[in-house]
Amino acid sequence: MHYRSRIGRWIGLALLAALTVAFVFPILWMVTSSFQAGDKMFALDAEWIPSQWHPENFPNALSRAAFPLYFFNSAVISVIVTASNLVFCTLAGYGLAKFRFPGDRFVLLAILSTLMLPIEVTLVPTFLVVHKFGWINSYQGIAGPLLIDAFGIFLMRQSIISVPTDYIEAARIDGAGELRILWQIIVPQCWPALAVLTIFAFRESWDQFIWPLTVVSVDQLRTYPLGLVIFNDDYGTPPTEQMAIAVLATIPVFGLFMLLQRWINRGFGLSGLK
Amino acid sequence: MPSSSCTTDPEANGVPAQTPPATRRFWHIGFRRRIQLWGVAFVLPALLFFAVFKYGPMLWAIGLSLTSYDMVSQPSFVGLENYQSLASDPIFQVTLLNTLVYIGVSTVLITLIGLALALAINTGVPYARHCMTAMFLTNLMPVIAVCLVWKFLLHPFGPITQLLAPFGAARIDWVTNSATAMPSIIAVTVWRFAPYFMVVFLAGLLAIPDDYYEAAQLDGANAVRRFWHVTLPLLTPVIFFVVVVSALLCARIFLLPYFITGGGPGSATRVLSMLIYDTGFSYLKMGRAAAISVVLFAIMMVFTVLQMRLFMRNERMLA
Repeated sequence: MHYRSRIGRWIGLALLAALTVAFVFPILWMVTSSFQAGDKMFALDAEWIPSQWHPENFPNALSRAAFPLYFFNSAVISVIVTASNLVFCTLAGYGLAKFRFPGDRFVLLAILSTLMLPIEVTLVPTFLVVHKFGWINSYQGIAGPLLIDAFGIFLMRQSIISVPTDYIEAARIDGAGELRILWQIIVPQCWPALAVLTIFAFRESWDQFIWPLTVVSVDQLRTYPLGLVIFNDDYGTPPTEQMAIAVLATIPVFGLFMLLQRWINRGFGLSGLK
Repeated sequence: MPSSSCTTDPEANGVPAQTPPATRRFWHIGFRRRIQLWGVAFVLPALLFFAVFKYGPMLWAIGLSLTSYDMVSQPSFVGLENYQSLASDPIFQVTLLNTLVYIGVSTVLITLIGLALALAINTGVPYARHCMTAMFLTNLMPVIAVCLVWKFLLHPFGPITQLLAPFGAARIDWVTNSATAMPSIIAVTVWRFAPYFMVVFLAGLLAIPDDYYEAAQLDGANAVRRFWHVTLPLLTPVIFFVVVVSALLCARIFLLPYFITGGGPGSATRVLSMLIYDTGFSYLKMGRAAAISVVLFAIMMVFTVLQMRLFMRNERMLA
């Protein structure tokens, strides 16, 4: 019996490993082909691992268009959007989780309802609003509509609700101000949710495409996805260099994920996983 | 997220209801009112933001959809003309159908595959956690990188063709053939989103107490019956959540078809968000684009109302 189950475990692992490889294969291929020679990518005898590595694809790709600038623009916007989401989603999440005021239920539903109003739906009027503010072709124009996301508010609310109200009451009786309670009692208990919020807010803003496409028309404010689309449209840009840019774009998100992984697993409710 | 369960009473300000001494009453009420005001102040920035960037624009879109507007001359009221002309426009009809098919098929596949992956991880196989982390990476890759990699993978001379060649498969023009273009886009969508919902399902599975399984096992239930009578009923709220959220995600899709197929061949993979962008910003028909937005909004509203009802029911169960 014991023997059979052990065999079973290894067969299970083999199946799961095969599945994992199937999912991860495109990511690995992105990396290997970014080092591939330009003419080998679509050769009939495919080389899954380059016989000759070409790290010069990376500097070549970066110097072909203004990619360092595009990456810088994306980074500025993503950092602003992530920081703003962390601050305002925590505030609103705390307000909704631990305070009762007239109409609080309605406010909760009103915020939940913005999930059906993503930028893709409100594209035209949002453009007109940003136009009225005079923010076309500016950082605040690209970042503005992304500063607060309802998903983040909910994530924080659900996390803060499980902080015992007694702690808050006790701090209040000791004379702590509301902001101090938030900073010293709520936030230290919510690192997992804050980590999840960080990775999702960063990915969301780092990924933005349709909105920058709409609001940016000058080269020096382009974000890297816009640059990559133009790069791809240009006939004769080696696919290997496009892959190099894709690899560079992937590194910050994977890096942030590895940095926060310990908390993210708990934030997802996976701490019980063996 | 439903995965983070609430263990305490959500009722805040649990101040005992006893009558305080008369001299303290005034101060006491002031204290509670002040706390209330703090709560309002914490929520206010988000509400103001949504008023400017969500509610305001949506109302504006509804108004704009009744006008003809090109951003140069003033908008002129045309009543329901935009909607009438959309209803008889074959491109719009195809696009609407594509969007609904895309949302429907992707959501079903994402839910089934996400659940299957979560069950596979949850079997306690060695290194399951590492496999989970590796698969989750597909969800973190930038969308544009996903598009680029899959555009090359699906290239007629690309790796997929070469992988299938030993099995005698003919060369398939995945993205330029109208029979395979939409399935290709759906496959990429499932590849990207299923691992995220795998994590959501896994959290739901881990929240089911082991006792239930042990009790079922003592009663002689085999693995299939345990799944059918213990796992599935307890996982139902999570399944609903996954269906609604993945449908909302799919309704927003833009870059995948825009980059991989360009909406083609013909209009085979054109979706509503692409039509909104083209109508509004390529043809400068803002009124018509706003009318398409209202249609997309209506689709998303169906799923959001479903989600809200679910959310409120769960809240009541916890309270």
